[in-house]
Amino acid sequence: MASAAAGALKRTTGLTGLAVVNNPHHRLTVLYEKIQRVLAKMPADASYRTSTETIVSERQAAVQAEKDPVALEARLGCGQCEELIVQAENELVLAKKMLQWKPWEPLVQQAPGSQWKWPI
Amino acid sequence: MFSFRIIRSASAAITGNVVRRATSLKVDPSQKKSLSDFGKYVADCMPKYVQKVQISSGNELEILIAPEGVVPVLQFLKDHHNAQFAVVSDITAIDVPSRHYRFELIYNLLSLRYNSRIRVKTYTDELTPVDSCVEVFKGANWYEREIWDMYGVFFSNHPDLRRILTDYGFEGHPFRKDFPLSGYVEVRYDDEAKRVVVEPVELAQEFRKFDLESPWEQFPAHRSKPAAEDVAIDK
Repeated sequence: MASAAAGALKRTTGLTGLAVVNNPHHRLTVLYEKIQRVLAKMPADASYRTSTETIVSERQAAVQAEKDPVALEARLGCGQCEELIVQAENELVLAKKMLQWKPWEPLVQQAPGSQWKWPI
Repeated sequence: MFSFRIIRSASAAITGNVVRRATSLKVDPSQKKSLSDFGKYVADCMPKYVQKVQISSGNELEILIAPEGVVPVLQFLKDHHNAQFAVVSDITAIDVPSRHYRFELIYNLLSLRYNSRIRVKTYTDELTPVDSCVEVFKGANWYEREIWDMYGVFFSNHPDLRRILTDYGFEGHPFRKDFPLSGYVEVRYDDEAKRVVVEPVELAQEFRKFDLESPWEQFPAHRSKPAAEDVAIDK
């Protein structure tokens, strides 16, 4: 009820090109589940996987606990719900690309001896 | 009775035992700590590409990566929840001919979400192409064209890699250290031909052989110590 009232009141995000989303909880839940499914394909000791899992599960818990979008935004402190959705979409795309890049492997190439020495 | 215990001068203030120079950069230890922690976090998440992490000038975080990792690292910094460096404020290069890979590419990013900046550096030479990051940052398009124009670094997969700053038909890359100061050609309006003509540069007078090397060491005070301090990462 409270979320419906807040959704009805909110007419704009105040950000160009970012439209108001009426069902942020549903969108966020779906996105976070998708991210978790992609992360599950990575090696368990990959640092990217563990840290992203921590962030995403923290946000999932917040989405489940706070039914009011305004309270959810206040709890996460990372922008409006619409921005949270954009962040989750970006993370999902990144995670899928990470599966191909495999950044948890050892260093591809060591820099030649004095490459980073400055002043020369 | 007056006793002057605090001596003030234009250049330094002495309070207690600490002499603080008025013009020195104030380094915030907590900010530095959070920057080096973030640097370690990036190195931890992408061990395949990050070679070194350092902090220069006390508060500028630099991630030094292998050239293969340009797109992955920039994409990570842009899209990861904890980074969100969504703005590419500048891409540039420097030319150090004595190095094995003479060109250093520098990407300056800005995170509006966390009010933070980061610098990503990599390297290449005249022949090795680097992956274009236009697919990550659309704003990188013109910056990469500038680097192609000025240094001749080739970006593979760039949608429109043309010269951007120099004239039509220009030859050479002016910011390379081996590019002559006077250039190769000169342009003038020819009254008889009634058009602009381009001719090889001709410096007739002998005294125009400038010696631009200063006989003095320019910054002896900064020669001995490195410009940036390392952040230890697991390797």
